[in-house]
Amino acid sequence: MQEGKPLDSRQVNRELLVSILNSPKWFFGAIAVLGFIVLVAMSSAGFMINQGFGVTGLNRPVMWGFFITNFVFWIGISHAGVMLSAILRLSKAEWRRPATRAAEILTVFSLMTAMTMPLIHTGRPWRTVYWIYTLPFVPYDYARGIWPNIRTPLVWDPSAVYTYLTSSILFVLVALIPDFAVLRDRTTGMSHRIYGMLAMGWQGNARQWKLQIIAGVLLSALILPVFVSVHSIVSWDFGMAVSVKSWHSTIFAPYFVVGAVHSGVSAVAFVLIILRYIYGWQNYIRHEHIDALARLLIVVATGWFYFFVMEVVFGFYGREADEIAVRNLQFTISPWNIWMMIFVGMTYFLPVSIWLSKSLRRNLWVMSLACIFVNIGMWLERFLIIVPGLARKQLLTFDWYTYRPSSVEWIIIIGTFALVSMLMLTIARVVPLIPLYDIKEGEILRTEIKIGRVTVPAVFRED
Amino acid sequence: MAATEPKGHGQHADMWVFPDASVMTADMGEKTNAMPRPFTMGLAVAGILFILGIVGFVARAADDGFGEIGPWGYYMAIFSMVFMVTSGAPLAAVAFRFTKSHWRRPLSRVAELFSIVGILNLLMFIPLVFVLPDIANPGEVAEGELAVRRTIWFEGPIGAPHAWDLVGVGFLAITSMAILWISVIPDMAECRFTATGFRRTIYNKLSGGWFGTKRQWNSQKAGLALLGAFYFMTLIFMHFVISSDYAQSLIPGWKDSIFPVIYTITSLQMSLGVILVVMFIMRRWGGYEGYIGKSMFWSASKVLLGITLLWVYHLFAFFITFWYGRLEIEQNIIKYLVTDTYAIIFLLNLIFSFAAPFAVLLWNPVRRSAWGPALAGVLVLFGGLMFNIRIFVGAANAAPGADLYKPIMERVPAPVYPDIFDVFMVIGGLGAAAFIYLLSTRVLPVISLWEVKEGALYQKWGKLIRGEYLILGKPE
Amino acid sequence: MAKAPILGLFETADHAADAGDALKAAGVSQADYDFLTDTPYPEGAFGEREEPHRIYIFPFVGALIGLTVGIMLTSMTQLAYPLTQGGKPILSLPPMAVVTYESTMLTAIVFTIIGIIFESRLPAFKQGLYDTRITEGYIGVLVNVDEDQLGSTQALLTQAGAIDVVRNDGGSAA
Repeated sequence: MQEGKPLDSRQVNRELLVSILNSPKWFFGAIAVLGFIVLVAMSSAGFMINQGFGVTGLNRPVMWGFFITNFVFWIGISHAGVMLSAILRLSKAEWRRPATRAAEILTVFSLMTAMTMPLIHTGRPWRTVYWIYTLPFVPYDYARGIWPNIRTPLVWDPSAVYTYLTSSILFVLVALIPDFAVLRDRTTGMSHRIYGMLAMGWQGNARQWKLQIIAGVLLSALILPVFVSVHSIVSWDFGMAVSVKSWHSTIFAPYFVVGAVHSGVSAVAFVLIILRYIYGWQNYIRHEHIDALARLLIVVATGWFYFFVMEVVFGFYGREADEIAVRNLQFTISPWNIWMMIFVGMTYFLPVSIWLSKSLRRNLWVMSLACIFVNIGMWLERFLIIVPGLARKQLLTFDWYTYRPSSVEWIIIIGTFALVSMLMLTIARVVPLIPLYDIKEGEILRTEIKIGRVTVPAVFRED
Repeated sequence: MAATEPKGHGQHADMWVFPDASVMTADMGEKTNAMPRPFTMGLAVAGILFILGIVGFVARAADDGFGEIGPWGYYMAIFSMVFMVTSGAPLAAVAFRFTKSHWRRPLSRVAELFSIVGILNLLMFIPLVFVLPDIANPGEVAEGELAVRRTIWFEGPIGAPHAWDLVGVGFLAITSMAILWISVIPDMAECRFTATGFRRTIYNKLSGGWFGTKRQWNSQKAGLALLGAFYFMTLIFMHFVISSDYAQSLIPGWKDSIFPVIYTITSLQMSLGVILVVMFIMRRWGGYEGYIGKSMFWSASKVLLGITLLWVYHLFAFFITFWYGRLEIEQNIIKYLVTDTYAIIFLLNLIFSFAAPFAVLLWNPVRRSAWGPALAGVLVLFGGLMFNIRIFVGAANAAPGADLYKPIMERVPAPVYPDIFDVFMVIGGLGAAAFIYLLSTRVLPVISLWEVKEGALYQKWGKLIRGEYLILGKPE
Repeated sequence: MAKAPILGLFETADHAADAGDALKAAGVSQADYDFLTDTPYPEGAFGEREEPHRIYIFPFVGALIGLTVGIMLTSMTQLAYPLTQGGKPILSLPPMAVVTYESTMLTAIVFTIIGIIFESRLPAFKQGLYDTRITEGYIGVLVNVDEDQLGSTQALLTQAGAIDVVRNDGGSAA
């Protein structure tokens, strides 16, 4: 660890605020392209709502397809924030410093993007409001004697996702206060006033810093259980269903959570490599950080693989005809079996083989590819859980169906990736994606120990 | 005393100890040779319990033979408990070494020594090979019965599951002892010059050729890493196998993909708990306070808190999936293992594996002490015992005779209470494990000398501006 | 006599700590001076006073409120929709547990945030004496002394190595 050269405060401020205080030419072009893709996706969603779900590939019994897969995927990506920020903060890993803010912000945006999926999936999204309010303070359904299932995981879902979203936003904002103060001191005019408001009069005295450190640890400890619960509850959207045999498995909760961490951390590693390249942050996002992320990913990927094997083994264990039918589709019938092989290869075998080599871990091109493979594989994982299960849901085989996504669905899915990218680039213009004070703290705590002729990097530790 | 005064800042006062490498070997030699009165009394008590266990086992075998699994439920439970604790403990050493946690150094050997109890695991497992029912229905397959009961071995390759399970348990024991041996070689090499008697003979034989060259250290490091990874995979696999063969597949219709995970987590929880208890005893009464600082308890207790939360999370995942599903078999399983038959045992399990340790470990000052994590360790050990009784006694008596080959458990059986022989076997199993462990601490140094000395190189007390703090070297 | 603030700016942490020592030696109470930095230093690094706080009360209070609200919301909703679904009881504890858990955690976290901002004495509508060079890496020693001691305090800070001393009356001495 600590391979980089020492940095002073002025250099840190100058280099890490470059994304905010400077306007590179490529930025507006990138936003324009991404914004265009997002607009096309929104138009497709509007077209779909206007014309009805017939324009998608969804049909009985496969009523959940690309949109729900994408929903689960983005919820999964959102788990990286807490994994890196909270767990690494609690375990005092020094290499977390450049990764935490980008991960937390990716969490917020991916959660927001994920929530658009069930919203458009309702077909008539305006009805969502009716659940809460039409007549004064009386929900529509209750007023008309329609009693929904309020014990369903589809009710647990919004409670979990909103809790996680609110907590993540507040966590990011509190951690940003000292950096808002730096921006307050570096800007003039309206920006100065806005940053000043957000900094809330921050001075940087000992009490404020002490509470910041406690905030980091305490909020990390509080948000960790929320993070585990969110994807568990999303998994229970499937796990509670008895009618789809391959879904009713007790292992879904931890399986989905570990999968989320796997895809999320890979996404953050990819984002960090991109940020290093576009903003010239070689001093901050160093090879040692990507190396550490890759080593963490080996553990997470192996954990994920264990849960995957358990899920498949116990799928066959029951030897129930309807579940065997699903597994048959997944493992023996083309093209599902090909997707299955691609998914397992891309999610585990290929990236882990790469990550086992130190030189490949430190090769940023290879790491970027590995992280992309993981996310393609994890997207396929959710798809291969959802669609084959539904395709074989009915007892009578003439009700079995398949699924072919339409162009509308493809456009909307691509639009979500463009949306998250656009939001990340935009926020990089407003807040520093690497926490300034965290980097500066790392420099202060950095020291050395001499053992014989060797000088070993060291850190000061309070506890 | 082989250490300077403990140091620490503010609320972390007295957290860190800085052992003196120059006197460590002689100090450890003295401690390993010593047989203080409390220790011999403990050994005697463990030995008596061991003998009672053998009496109980012989009486059970004479009474019921090895034909039916029902009478052996409590034996299965205590085997599982000893297996879980003693196979999981070396994993703590492996895992914390892998994560390069600086605080793990005094804990490593304490954890690795549990691998010697692996021999006991293997011996205890042998009778269970005979009592486990065959996969294939031995009688005529009546209507509504299965020709082959549901197991992870499906149609049952030759020898499955009996031979494979036995080989697996044996393999695990051998691997863990290999890890112990590779880890202890440098210490034995160092102590052989000052040791006498049988210890000197053992040290010479098992460490011969070790001179501490760079090549030897590198080989040892690589060996520990590879064996550690191998042990980890084998352990997880064996947890999956034992929990499936001796629990899940004995309750017809119980299809629970998360149960092997719960089993593994309970094992990890109990292992860490027993390590904390042992380290507390060593620090408080064994004279090891110079080696074991409070920082070790502070850090390990966070891990225990995390594992405890994971335990209840996985339990809830199992419970809510079965509860919500409302299938007949799922409701029967819940009634049997949770709400009706073994309700009191389940409640004790929940309290002692989750509620009580959570309530203890939630508080920073408690986690910063040595007694707090040790108390949590005692609680989780009792909780784990309740877990094993609930699951394995439940499994052994869920479907006697031909009922085992039915597709689902159609009725919820009554609880099976222990008789005197069951009690003897349970306390005997615990006593036997303690007896073997205590004996092993008189042969091999219970603190990993080379690891603690290595840590002393990378750890010192230093000044930053006006404050004094720990300086921790990060050679990687 | 009214107290007035004075801020000394130091290039290095050692000089700032020297200033703290000098202030202590001069009889200035630890409660009257603060070290302003752009990054957290380990507690006690400057020999500064301990900062007691009661932050841990906030998550507990929040959790209790969230628990109460969660139980009330879930139980009252189930009683308002008394429809047996899938054989589950009207008051189904496991689904209640999930939603109650989320509301407990949400309120605990929200209250923690409030507590952190409150205990940090934020928002500070009047920021007080400050210099933007602090976020450039300089360390500020902010002292509150009687107005007639401003001069001696300024001299003390300068002697300790301050590169600049800022006062509220617009005075600044390099």
